[in-house]
Amino acid sequence: MKQRDLKRAYNNVLAQTFSTSRRHLFAGNLFGDIFVLSLKELYNEEPPGQLKLFPQGDKVDVNCLAFYKDFLIVGSVGLVYGLKWNEETEVLDSKRAWEVKIPIQVDAVEVPDVNSFWLCQNTNSLYAGCGDCTIYQITLEDGRILRDFSGHTDYIHCVVGNSSSGCIYTGSEDGTVRIWSHKQKEQVSQIEPHRKCDLTRTDCGKWIGAVDVNDEWLLCGGGPYPSIWHLRSLRSPQDFGFPARVHVCNFVDDSVLIAGEHDHIESYTINGILQANIPVEHTACYSAIWQTEPFKFMSVAGFSNKLHILKDFRFLDSKITLYGNVENEKEEIEDNKIYY
Amino acid sequence: MDQILSKQFADLREAIDEIQRLKSAGQHVEVKRSAAALMFVALKHSNREVKRNIKSGRDELHAEKLKVDMSRLQLQSLLYDVSHLKKEIIKCQKFKSRDSHLELLSDEEYASKLPSSATNGDDKSEVSSHSKHLHRLECELRLRKDLDNQYKSLLTAKQDLLQENLNQTQRYGSFAPALRTLMDSTKPLHDALQLTLDVDWKLSAVYKYLPKPLYILFINLQSLQRINSDAPNKFHSEVVGFENEAHMQELLAAKQKLGFPVENGENGSSENILERLLDPFPLHIRITIFTSDNLHQMELVIRYWGLLKCATVQAQFSSNLAASANAPGDTSFVHDILRHLYPNDFGNEIPIPGIQCELQNLNLTADECLKHLEKNNFGKPFCWLQNMCSIPTVNTANEYVHELNLNKCTREAIARISKRCQSWVELSQQIRGLTYKDIDLDTLKENTAGILSGSLVQWTAITPEDFQAQSSDALNSISDDSTGESSNEVTHTFYRAVIVRGSAKMECFIKIFSNYPLEMPLWILCIHWNGCHTSKNSSAIKMMEYWTNSLRVEDLEPNHQFLFTQLFRTIYSFDIFLETEGSTQTTLEYNKEKPYLNPFTKRIRLRPYKYTKKGSVYAFKQ
Repeated sequence: MKQRDLKRAYNNVLAQTFSTSRRHLFAGNLFGDIFVLSLKELYNEEPPGQLKLFPQGDKVDVNCLAFYKDFLIVGSVGLVYGLKWNEETEVLDSKRAWEVKIPIQVDAVEVPDVNSFWLCQNTNSLYAGCGDCTIYQITLEDGRILRDFSGHTDYIHCVVGNSSSGCIYTGSEDGTVRIWSHKQKEQVSQIEPHRKCDLTRTDCGKWIGAVDVNDEWLLCGGGPYPSIWHLRSLRSPQDFGFPARVHVCNFVDDSVLIAGEHDHIESYTINGILQANIPVEHTACYSAIWQTEPFKFMSVAGFSNKLHILKDFRFLDSKITLYGNVENEKEEIEDNKIYY
Repeated sequence: MDQILSKQFADLREAIDEIQRLKSAGQHVEVKRSAAALMFVALKHSNREVKRNIKSGRDELHAEKLKVDMSRLQLQSLLYDVSHLKKEIIKCQKFKSRDSHLELLSDEEYASKLPSSATNGDDKSEVSSHSKHLHRLECELRLRKDLDNQYKSLLTAKQDLLQENLNQTQRYGSFAPALRTLMDSTKPLHDALQLTLDVDWKLSAVYKYLPKPLYILFINLQSLQRINSDAPNKFHSEVVGFENEAHMQELLAAKQKLGFPVENGENGSSENILERLLDPFPLHIRITIFTSDNLHQMELVIRYWGLLKCATVQAQFSSNLAASANAPGDTSFVHDILRHLYPNDFGNEIPIPGIQCELQNLNLTADECLKHLEKNNFGKPFCWLQNMCSIPTVNTANEYVHELNLNKCTREAIARISKRCQSWVELSQQIRGLTYKDIDLDTLKENTAGILSGSLVQWTAITPEDFQAQSSDALNSISDDSTGESSNEVTHTFYRAVIVRGSAKMECFIKIFSNYPLEMPLWILCIHWNGCHTSKNSSAIKMMEYWTNSLRVEDLEPNHQFLFTQLFRTIYSFDIFLETEGSTQTTLEYNKEKPYLNPFTKRIRLRPYKYTKKGSVYAFKQ
């Protein structure tokens, strides 16, 4: 099998983000390649143009992405770094503008992954959920690590926060969702969905793959069935019958979008009624991002060589191929000196 | 006038009559007579008038007559002109220009060949066909002049080269006596060192009967052979055939050239013509390439076809091992090696410029000839082979190639063939080992002691249909690839492996490409355990498949074999999958046996498929 085919067949896109201007979409995969899609054509209802590819090197897994002012922030293994994005020329700087190393703990054997980002616009700080069971708060002004939130017993899958209340919500492989506050060192409280017998799925494990919050509710899912929890009472009035492991769950408008290791993504009302069941090509979905301004647009990425575009969040609009649809794509030149 | 005259006459008569009447009456007539005499004056005047009139009339008449004469003359000359022009027209019509038998090219071709002439292209619609023709003639003239200039410059270049050749030859010739004396004077040294310099270079007489391209190839091979005699990739080349037969052939050819008919019945069927025209030359070259263990060898039989102006190569594989000689599938790969030696060089057409036209003159087509060659096991005319023989070629993309660095290209081609052959021999040994379960267990144990819990229970060849029934993204991404090498030229063989551990069973479907080792074997996995897991419905299996398929030759440790390594990867990935998955199951079937830190990392819950080894300690990592 050729290297080119291999990348096409096993492209695993873990992270996506929009630029500040909302004119570009960034998608990063485990081969260390960052794709940039211009949204101008989609906005004008034209067929999308070719993507741009900015390789970060074979050894760099792009685990998560965020965008701050004119920087693309990349979470890889053991470090977070920023790349300058030039909006006019549509070029991502190949030189890292800054780099923050995740501290390696004394008893650690492996370099921790940076699995998830949450960017707090109020305090200009970045929360990074890492493979060493810890969440680090990094200030984007000078790149210092302000504090860490530790208490999880396994690696962090997901970090989200609520800028108004200042609370951080994390989902972890240890099966808990923990709620953290700036004012306390320890966690404020925690939820264990797998302890609730109508949520648990023994075959899938207890881990929490995705968390989302709005002002009143928390949504989480993973090994257990996805469910929503009331933030003050920490009770779960509603669960959703998504039939597979969950890697993505989000409040989208006033409904709930759930995706994971399943060939469909599903959209439910808050009351648990299935609204839409959208077929996707991904073996598993790992990222869904959306916007309502300047136009309604959602992109779902996962373990396949396609981005799935939904313009009204209910029906599949189009699929955008990644490898094989890149400007100036170099044909892999077989290195003959190895074989001849 | 006549009225005036007649009136005067009438008046005169009246007057005469009056006089007569008066005379006869005897009256006095004197008055009357003078009056009548006066009348004569008038009459005279009239007479003069008449005369003048007549004269002027006559003058006028003369002038008119002159005019008429002039007109007539003009008319005559015009008529003459007409008849002359008519004659001229007929002449013109009958005129044959010398340019009519010139073969002219179209405007576009001229424009492309003479870039400066494409200036008046705008008003093409208005110019008549004649002026177009003139333009083309002009272009032709310029083209001819250009070509003539080129010809002249080439001719001078040729002259120069000839002269230089002559000079160099003379120079080399002048060395000869000095060399001879050197040779003679160092003779004792040679004897002391036991060098046999003068013996080696005596070429057997048979070589001189080789066709020129084969002779060039053979000399190159011989020189390479002398350099490489102790290299690991050994090869040996020899000329096969009898001197006297070649001699006969040469005599026959000479005879034919002189116009003597050759005693061959003119048979109508094209098969016979082909057979007669493509009669193999009695001499050919055989190259034997040995694998590194000297147990297997690949034979290349290279023949030259004077008619096709190209050489062909046929490959054979033989083995010194009695047991492997009858193993199936062993020999088919030699053709694949030659076909995929260089990209887009499949030997499906004759790569000689202009050969189609020459064959057409003999009422043959290139395809017929190739089919005939193939049917009689004479092999295929690959471009790389022509390069080795210093024959200029034109490939499918119409690129003209005339390799001049023969030594480099011959060395490279031989090295490639021997390397590919080595890989294929290893691969087929691995496949045979897997099929008959006589895997070299020692080499396995040494590297994988205690790692593998799953075991291979079956390895069989399957049909393409069985393989295509599997669904995987890996297959889709290959099938939609129409670029690069034309995909239908690459053929495949398929195998199915079954690996079992406890109640779980894994089926592997393996696709081996004919251009191995350019493309590595592709594995599709399917695990039957608590339902069927494939790369379509489980990301864990897809990552496993990626881990198996991403193995490159560069990753291979020395002395590791590719397919075996892929198999190990697959089996221990299977173990890891069961052990990590088993830890979450309610009924514990598989315990953690492998050394790994975390069963899962990253948001994709990646399992520790990666095997790392440091000294004698090994571990699995993500």
